[in-house]
Amino acid sequence: CGFKLRGSLLGDDLPFKSIYLDIPQNSTLGAELRRNIRGSGELKIVDTREEAEAILDIPSERRQKSILSLNSQGRVREFALYYHVTVRVRDQHNVELLPPTQISLKRDMTYNENQVLAKEGEEVMLYRDMQSDIVQQILRRVASIQPPTSIAPAGTE
Amino acid sequence: SSPDNDANAPTNVSSEQMTGRPDRELFLERDVEVIRGGTTLNADRATYWIAEDEVEASGNVRMTRFGDRYTGDKLRYKMDAGEGYVDNPTYHIKANNGQGAANRIDFESEDRAFIHQGTYSTCEGPDPDWYLSANTMRLDKGRDVGTAGTTLIYFKGVPVIGTPYMSFPLSGERKSGVLPPSIGTSSRGGLEIMVPYYFNIAPNRDFTLSPRIIAKRGVQIGGEARYLGNTYAGETKFEYLGNDRETKTDRYFISTVHTQRLSPRASFRWNINAASDDNYPRDFSRDLATSTNRLLLRDLYFNYAGDFWNASARASNYQVLQDSLSRIGRPYDRLPQLTFTSARQDINGFDWTFNAEGTRFYNPDDYLDINNRRFVVNRITGERELLTPRNGDRYHVNSSISYPIIRPGYFITPKVTLNATSYDIRDSSSDINASYSRVLPTFSLNTGLVFEREANFLGEAMTQTIEPRLFYVKTPYRDQSMLPNFDSAEADLSFAQIFNENRFIGNDRISDANQLTAAIVSRFIEDNGEERLRLALGQRYYFEAPQVTLRPNQVPSDDKKSDILAAAALKLSDTLSTEGTLQYSATQKTISRANYGLTWRPAPKKVLNLTYRRDKPNELSQIDVSGQWPLSDRWYGVGRINYSLSDYALLNNNQKIKSGNKISEGLLGLEYKADCWIFRVVAQRLPTGTGESNTSLFFQLELSGLTRLGSDPMTAIRNNVPGYQLISQPSNVSGM
Repeated sequence: CGFKLRGSLLGDDLPFKSIYLDIPQNSTLGAELRRNIRGSGELKIVDTREEAEAILDIPSERRQKSILSLNSQGRVREFALYYHVTVRVRDQHNVELLPPTQISLKRDMTYNENQVLAKEGEEVMLYRDMQSDIVQQILRRVASIQPPTSIAPAGTE
Repeated sequence: SSPDNDANAPTNVSSEQMTGRPDRELFLERDVEVIRGGTTLNADRATYWIAEDEVEASGNVRMTRFGDRYTGDKLRYKMDAGEGYVDNPTYHIKANNGQGAANRIDFESEDRAFIHQGTYSTCEGPDPDWYLSANTMRLDKGRDVGTAGTTLIYFKGVPVIGTPYMSFPLSGERKSGVLPPSIGTSSRGGLEIMVPYYFNIAPNRDFTLSPRIIAKRGVQIGGEARYLGNTYAGETKFEYLGNDRETKTDRYFISTVHTQRLSPRASFRWNINAASDDNYPRDFSRDLATSTNRLLLRDLYFNYAGDFWNASARASNYQVLQDSLSRIGRPYDRLPQLTFTSARQDINGFDWTFNAEGTRFYNPDDYLDINNRRFVVNRITGERELLTPRNGDRYHVNSSISYPIIRPGYFITPKVTLNATSYDIRDSSSDINASYSRVLPTFSLNTGLVFEREANFLGEAMTQTIEPRLFYVKTPYRDQSMLPNFDSAEADLSFAQIFNENRFIGNDRISDANQLTAAIVSRFIEDNGEERLRLALGQRYYFEAPQVTLRPNQVPSDDKKSDILAAAALKLSDTLSTEGTLQYSATQKTISRANYGLTWRPAPKKVLNLTYRRDKPNELSQIDVSGQWPLSDRWYGVGRINYSLSDYALLNNNQKIKSGNKISEGLLGLEYKADCWIFRVVAQRLPTGTGESNTSLFFQLELSGLTRLGSDPMTAIRNNVPGYQLISQPSNVSGM
């Protein structure tokens, strides 16, 4: 059926071989992203902006919680949790290799006032799950960056 | 630096006839034109003083100043300084189409003009649909703000509102001004009139004051302050109504949130909410967020981040606004909760984490558990055990070490976790004092494969993946029935939860486990990395049924497998997307939870949302339809209905009652968009308690360029209709 074990994620076609993650050290999203890029074994993470061929940053990371459903007594029975992350990759000359791209995820969570403290914990778990998911999606976006030849018109501006 | 503003720009003068004394003054007649930089002046007659660079013009005076136009009978103007005056003028501001007439305008500088006895409107033509009339007005283009003294606002020739002071923006920006007055009625308050005032104190701070007359209750003062700095941000809202005519008490609500960074590593925040009484949300709420919120958090939080560790201290409690027919158990206060988390990655390939938490729990209520019990008798020891102690300290340590092997095509993560917990229980209302401790190891193995192929999806070339995952967990059984439950519950079944070692949330219960989770995900991914379709299926298999339960004497389930979870999300095109999740119980042959949604956005200001939800454990089954749609050139409709398919409601004590409310939420609105104003009428229904609801009706007139949006019907519309776009917004701007 044509399926093959994925041999490479951030390899061959990428127009850069090293990347600097311009994300604060204490960001958990940054830590998980580092762990996964390092795990791919293909793209080198460098410690300073100057020695990197590409610079990845997260211009915005936003969480939002909205009411999804009420029961007939006016009590919230479901919340929707949203996680919006915008990612951007530039080269040394500030040319955007990946223009700011927003990735949004949503998880539904049932709610009951009698379990409010546990629901706080469940919210943390769902955001952690979304973070892992968004890391994979960020890697997909980074992997899709084309070599500069095909983006030359935009890059020369 | 623009050539228009050049201080040394020359003044050019031309006319059909020119006389005067060279280097002193010029008398100009017929087709007079005086140009300097961005300013052009035309008139029938003028005198120009060369040394002063000043002109006095009369007869058909027209002046264009950086795009803004003025006409008048007589004008005197210093071309270089931009100072002067014009008598009986009309004016037009380019940036926002603001225009009007006046007795006199004093030009104070190139940016500022002072208007005496003038009018202002953003409508076209000599007979504007609305205008304001003020004794004094100052237009300051540098600050992008117009301010007016004693003002009357006329709509269709009728004065609708008067104010001693107001301000409005001079560009398309929504900045400051009197907000649109909001007039409405509600079933609980009667007629309500609100005239909010918006103070744009600085670009990064503002304050909205909202006095409101509520016919059945009295005068309520509301306010909202927002501020933002480099290291801090916050928002405080309050409402106060002295001596409510119905209850004869003072009614108030306050909500304040503040976050502050003290250093790159240290930060703190507070989030404090309070209301005067249990019925506040029922009597005063105008939107879902407040009508539904019966647990008001008071939280203080301090955080310090190290290089690979994080320490935090928090104090929190909840005010509970009870509904007598469906009481809420008061959550435990955490006074304080101290947390330390740390993680190191890739130490010779190993990852480790160490987390510790110490919490002092306190609950002043003699609150009973779900079966109205405060004590149970231990079946084995025969001793009395406290389910809900008033005081208790809990210390919890969780440490893990794992060896993740992550490759593009697969991952394997073996992990060992140790949980150690100790309790110190005291209860001031009974003689029970006890200490407990629990130490539990957990082993888990998380594995996954990623297969890929080139595939065709809806005619487009894409990458299709198949990602099988297996997750094994082993935790031995410990009897935990004597442990109190401060903050724990069983988590909903979800893709996040089935890949967790513990099926409980919170540290009071750690589930025994000898189980395997199997899941498979398939995605279709575009060349740019965007996911177009995702399908997921998962289930957990128990080699031994878990024995740990949340409550003592609760009979554990002996199911050999969990419900099946299925999820799908499809982005069919840029305008149409759909998603759904399903939880199916194979043992009971029934769908316990389901959620399907469809969103269609064919064009700006056109959106339709359709959702079906089912939550059998909570006796919930709803259809939700919402949307925004243009009805004609100028009329727009907006609506939402949430229809309950179930005839029953579940009270908090798990008692099922027959419910009369088939429509739990509903909103219907019409918007009319004229050239320089918008009129809205919106009806909204909110459930506010057992068998109770509040129906309200809003009327709002928005005068373009004068008033800023953000009043009541807008909040309600935005909360009810996901994807709603302002009809005043140009169509080429996408709000998505």
